[in-house]
Amino acid sequence: MCVPALLQRLVPLLLLFSLAATGLAADRAATEQVQVSLIAERNTISPGGEILIGLEQKIIPHWHTYWQNPGDSGLPTSINWQLPAGASAGPILWPLPGRHKQGALTNYGYAGRVMLLSAIKAPANAKPGSDFPVVAKASWLVCEEICIPQQAELSLTLKVGKPAGAAHPAILAARAAVPVDAPWPATVSHENGKVRLRIASPELAHGKLDDVWFYPLKWGKLVHGAPQSPSRDGDTLVLDMQPGEAPGLDGEPLEGVLAVTESSADGKLMRGFNLSARPLAASAAGATTNHTEIGLAAAFLLALAGGVILNLMPCVFPVLSIKALALIRHGVHADHGTRMHGLAYTAGIILSFLVLAALLLALRAGGAQIGWGFQFQTPGFVLAVAWLMFAIGLSLSGVYTLGNSVAGIGEALTEKPGYRGSFFAGVLAAIVATPCTAPFMGAAIAYALAQPAPHLIIVFTGLGLGLALPYLLLSNWPLLQRCLPRPGLWMERLKQVFAFPMYATALWLSWVLVQQAGADALLAAFGGMLVIAFAAWLFNGTRNASATQRRIATLIAVALIAAAGIVAGLQLQAAPTSAAASGHAADETWQAYSEDTLQALRAEGKPVFLNFTAAWCITCLANERVALSKDKIIAAFKEQGITYLKGDWTNQDAAITRKLAEFGRNGVPLYVFYPAGKDSKPVVLPQLLTPDIVLEHIRPSH
Amino acid sequence: MFMRHVAPLLATLACAPLSAHASPAVDQPAPSFIANTADGRSVNLDSLKGKTVLLEWTNHDCPFVRKHYESGNMQGLQKDAAAKGVVWMQVISSAPGKQGNVDGATALKLNSTRGATPAHVILDPEGKLGKLYGAQTTPHIFIIDARGLLAYKGGIDSLASADKADIAKAEPYVSEALSALAAGKKITASNTKPYGCSVKYE
Repeated sequence: MCVPALLQRLVPLLLLFSLAATGLAADRAATEQVQVSLIAERNTISPGGEILIGLEQKIIPHWHTYWQNPGDSGLPTSINWQLPAGASAGPILWPLPGRHKQGALTNYGYAGRVMLLSAIKAPANAKPGSDFPVVAKASWLVCEEICIPQQAELSLTLKVGKPAGAAHPAILAARAAVPVDAPWPATVSHENGKVRLRIASPELAHGKLDDVWFYPLKWGKLVHGAPQSPSRDGDTLVLDMQPGEAPGLDGEPLEGVLAVTESSADGKLMRGFNLSARPLAASAAGATTNHTEIGLAAAFLLALAGGVILNLMPCVFPVLSIKALALIRHGVHADHGTRMHGLAYTAGIILSFLVLAALLLALRAGGAQIGWGFQFQTPGFVLAVAWLMFAIGLSLSGVYTLGNSVAGIGEALTEKPGYRGSFFAGVLAAIVATPCTAPFMGAAIAYALAQPAPHLIIVFTGLGLGLALPYLLLSNWPLLQRCLPRPGLWMERLKQVFAFPMYATALWLSWVLVQQAGADALLAAFGGMLVIAFAAWLFNGTRNASATQRRIATLIAVALIAAAGIVAGLQLQAAPTSAAASGHAADETWQAYSEDTLQALRAEGKPVFLNFTAAWCITCLANERVALSKDKIIAAFKEQGITYLKGDWTNQDAAITRKLAEFGRNGVPLYVFYPAGKDSKPVVLPQLLTPDIVLEHIRPSH
Repeated sequence: MFMRHVAPLLATLACAPLSAHASPAVDQPAPSFIANTADGRSVNLDSLKGKTVLLEWTNHDCPFVRKHYESGNMQGLQKDAAAKGVVWMQVISSAPGKQGNVDGATALKLNSTRGATPAHVILDPEGKLGKLYGAQTTPHIFIIDARGLLAYKGGIDSLASADKADIAKAEPYVSEALSALAAGKKITASNTKPYGCSVKYE
């Protein structure tokens, strides 16, 4: 007899012997398809205390057992507990199920291995030291093609007493797989023969989701196997689902579990969220979905109107006015040239908006969080526009002029040979328009962002056309031109007045910059403006000097501005650029991560908890909500003198990337605990956390 | 002759793109069909206007079906239905080679050994009738009233389990529906959750 064969015979025997010896003979059972066992979180339960007991099912390939709503057929597993007097058992804490398609039918259940946890509570008067016998009568249906109902009676004997020792790792892992309560409000409505679930969650709406599926708790609410089409409406994730046999039109809430699968660099992460969607009254449903239902034509018209109104915005109006003033100066001609200038200006605007649309599409394809003004999330862009506004302001104030005219920059551009000047005036108008949002624009853009690329491009073209329209009409319509006032000194005064809205815009943008990049950025912004003002003065002061002197002055001015740009750019890079990091910096429960801080703490032998997170990582946010920000974790950190360091990888910080690599990771979340002691070994925590998992890992004895 | 064979085919084809989920709605006309029966004949739903017709999807090896036959619950319902003039039709939609697929003779023999007394046993190995009605489980019950409208669809009772002891505790949906129809009353629970094994379509 060969050795493996011998072992095969001996192992069950040995197993039997060892089980009998420890008195746990009945904690497991097996059928042809399913091995079941009963596993306790700990061997002791305290009087009045609660522990988790899991029924583990190991199912052979191709067979499955069922979730609480089994889907089109099948039956959920049930457990009937027999406990000592006064003890009680909670309901099964169902882990996330999977979808099993069989022909036209879809079932919700488990394949492979599943742990069904229940909370068992001991009575307060349980006698310490006494036995606490637990009997679970489990019955389940296991199906491949055919179905077999099976039962098993399993038992465990716990001791009443203080919980000691580590919790069973399989129970901790199973606890982490149980869905958590969703932190987002949700509504449900019935529209156009669909059940529409709306979840107000920027994280979900903009996250990099591989899959999202809503499992209804009850039969009849939805067709279990029908596709659920997700879409985005601003910061809301919308799921359109097919109503089932009893969809409940009478305004009852829709309850279920939302399964979210996201791709991290280290593999897929799946998390379940318990959701109870509030029914929307019919009228309210109409109101909230109005702007998503407006349709392409309406969105285009709204964008056009919004674009026209943009002309009146404080930062745009001066640019338009300069163009109009140029027309007045040149006299009232309906000639070919004027018309071509109008067209060039329009082309400049529309092209800029198309570039913006292309950028939005590229970012959206990358899964980034986008919206109107997304470019203003980049501090460098904010700074550049602030300086541009300031420079235009200086020009309007008459500090310097470009070209030979005594007029400002806008006019100088129009007087450039050819139509390039008009084209760039259009680009300028588009750039200065970006910080503004006009009425009607919001609805059009919200629509466009949720639509496929061609629609988005059409809406943005509408916006550009709207912005260009007033000047386009003016340059093409002699009748309108005749309505313009006569040229005169008032034009110069008006231009000087227009400098002030530009300064105001520069001021506002500087404030925005401080919010994003901290107080030091203000120095960069104002320092740059100082340099621009000096360069402008230098440039203008040498206008009447010799050609060489003029060239040198221009060179110095350009060099100064370039230097200011480089210095400011470096400064911004060094500053924290994430809203997440600066927004909660006041929170005293954690500190921002830096390798120096970590090393300093380690050198002192202090325990440290590291959390690498990102604003776009849903799993990270969920972990913080359900575990790391809980009072008992904060208290435990405090009690054990653990310093909680948080690294924000929202902007893919290089130092954090290196640290992640140190632990063999390419992405977040990553949780690491450094126990007390200078040479302690770091402990990596799982990617799905519960308070218990965190407590287990930071126990001093670890 | 032509119509007899082509009409059900057309009905099936027309519904094919809607998939098995497109189950007919309660209070709407029940889809017509002509189907082959275990005794080698055929049955035409249209010819049964004026009578209440009950369709019972079955698979004799399914534990949920066995629950209701081994307890005698199904046989009792069949007798009660016959007394009320209801035409009870068993439907076997199991595909060849799959659980519950039987030939006509075996189907009839099964019934005689179980003491089951349906008026007809329909053999539907291609699953056409099953998909026409959106039958999902065994058992799955559909009741068509005398006007040809679907009056009930769903489970045999309210307690989804394979345990015979649960029959007495459950709300007997089918028996209640048949009584309401006989009394000319409205059926309170006319669209309920079916439970059981999946229908073994091919």
